[in-house]
Amino acid sequence: MEAIVQIGFFVVLLAIGWFAGRANEKRHFRELAEVEASLRDILVFNERRPPPEREFRSGTLVVGSVVIAEDYFKRIAAGLRSLVGGRLTAYESLLDRGRREAIVRMKQEARRVGATMIFNVRLETSSLSEDRSGRAPMFSAEFIAYGTALVPAGRP
Amino acid sequence: MELTTLETVPGKTITRHLGLVQGSTVRSKHAGKDFLAGLKNFVGGELKSYTALLNESRNEAIERMVAQAKAVGANAIVNIRFSTSNIAAGAAEVMAYGTAVVVG
Amino acid sequence: MSYENPEVPHEVNVARDNALVEFLRLLAGVGLVVLAVAAVLYLTSSWLARLIPFSTERAWVGDRVLGIEIAPSSVSDHAAIERYLQSLCDELAATMQLPDSMTIQVHYTQARIPNAFATLGGHVAVTSELYRLMPSENALAMVLAHEIAHVKARDPISALGGGASLALVFALVSGEADNLAPWLAGLVQLGYSRGAEQRADEEAVAALVTRYGHAGGAASVFEVLAEHSGAIAGSVPTFLSTHPADAARIADLTRAADGWDPSRAPLAPIAVPGTND
Repeated sequence: MEAIVQIGFFVVLLAIGWFAGRANEKRHFRELAEVEASLRDILVFNERRPPPEREFRSGTLVVGSVVIAEDYFKRIAAGLRSLVGGRLTAYESLLDRGRREAIVRMKQEARRVGATMIFNVRLETSSLSEDRSGRAPMFSAEFIAYGTALVPAGRP
Repeated sequence: MELTTLETVPGKTITRHLGLVQGSTVRSKHAGKDFLAGLKNFVGGELKSYTALLNESRNEAIERMVAQAKAVGANAIVNIRFSTSNIAAGAAEVMAYGTAVVVG
Repeated sequence: MSYENPEVPHEVNVARDNALVEFLRLLAGVGLVVLAVAAVLYLTSSWLARLIPFSTERAWVGDRVLGIEIAPSSVSDHAAIERYLQSLCDELAATMQLPDSMTIQVHYTQARIPNAFATLGGHVAVTSELYRLMPSENALAMVLAHEIAHVKARDPISALGGGASLALVFALVSGEADNLAPWLAGLVQLGYSRGAEQRADEEAVAALVTRYGHAGGAASVFEVLAEHSGAIAGSVPTFLSTHPADAARIADLTRAADGWDPSRAPLAPIAVPGTND
């Protein structure tokens, strides 16, 4: 019967979303931990005033951005959760990944210009899903981290 | 934990700057309230249930940010900013971030 | 003033609980609620559908026989068979105390599968294969009276009402509303509940007794059908190979014919024999 085929298809997609999605996430979080460790010497603050007693050669805008999309499992879990209300834990890991990746990329750009500190950091998240006709679109969000990278005077 | 949107905590001096801390949460109202809010679209005005939802979310986001600040040993957070974004499934994410500092 | 970036605990922003467990719990909870709502809706709409007056049902359907394609056969006495069926049906209906507005229209359709069913608007269809297999007029009358009983009990429209609410729940849950109409039309053909079938059997037996004085030949309908399906499946047709529900039905109908003496009240032959086309 057609209904059984539809349900079977749905379960298969859900399983793919779960296994592939979880594997993907785990890998990303592990990579994030490693890269964050290597970039730990670049300091990040969202204050406006750079340290007054230090000399800086230049300050440039640095931006890190990434777009991350949900997997099928997250989507269904979120749909269920929206029925009853409450915290959407399925998306928390997605948002955390996105933000951390954006900050990492911003730091990498700062590293490229030789900076040791980034000030006035701002974080933005925007949802990108368009309203296609019919089914609800796949959720994806763009994460941006931007700030002013300060290159210390005395560096070549 | 002192919270301020200023660069400094008025009347105190910052002794240590401990970097970015952030707290975020994603919440959704249940389908019934969603439907009622949809009906309200006809008459306009404040969507009380959504206001309440986002208030709860913002408070939780602040709590999480404070938890991160405490974990790094701060006693104040300066330059706090908020950011809200819409998550497709009828939910909203509220993020609060600032710089954790130690003031004396 | 020192500037440092000690490592922040990222788990603060990501809940620790297993996503799969939470998902399954939510699914179970929501699933139970949906099932409960669907059950209530189904029962309510089945009951409410019966309140629609038959004249409205008939007017809405008109001459359309929903749920089956009426295929006219190429047999020359197709019209004769249909007339015979209609007159037999009218005679049976007259004894079954149908409301005034309720008229039954019988359709004879070419099909390889033996089947007879009642659908909306008082339309009853009998396939050529079923007609061919019936051993006596009594058996044929049992079939017709059974279908008339379904129409009298408003089973077709009740099934449609119940099916409509199930389709609605399904569409709400899955978000798809495109192919509802053919789904609904097919539902009428799916069959009725065991209770409805039993009630229709009982009323048909009563109609047989009124017309022939006994319920002989009633059980033969299902025995013949069981044999036919057994022969098609290739297995030796035995009483035990029938569906347990059918076996119970045959037993009930045989019991209903208790006291019938075939030698004193022989079964009537079919007036217009069906041919193998």
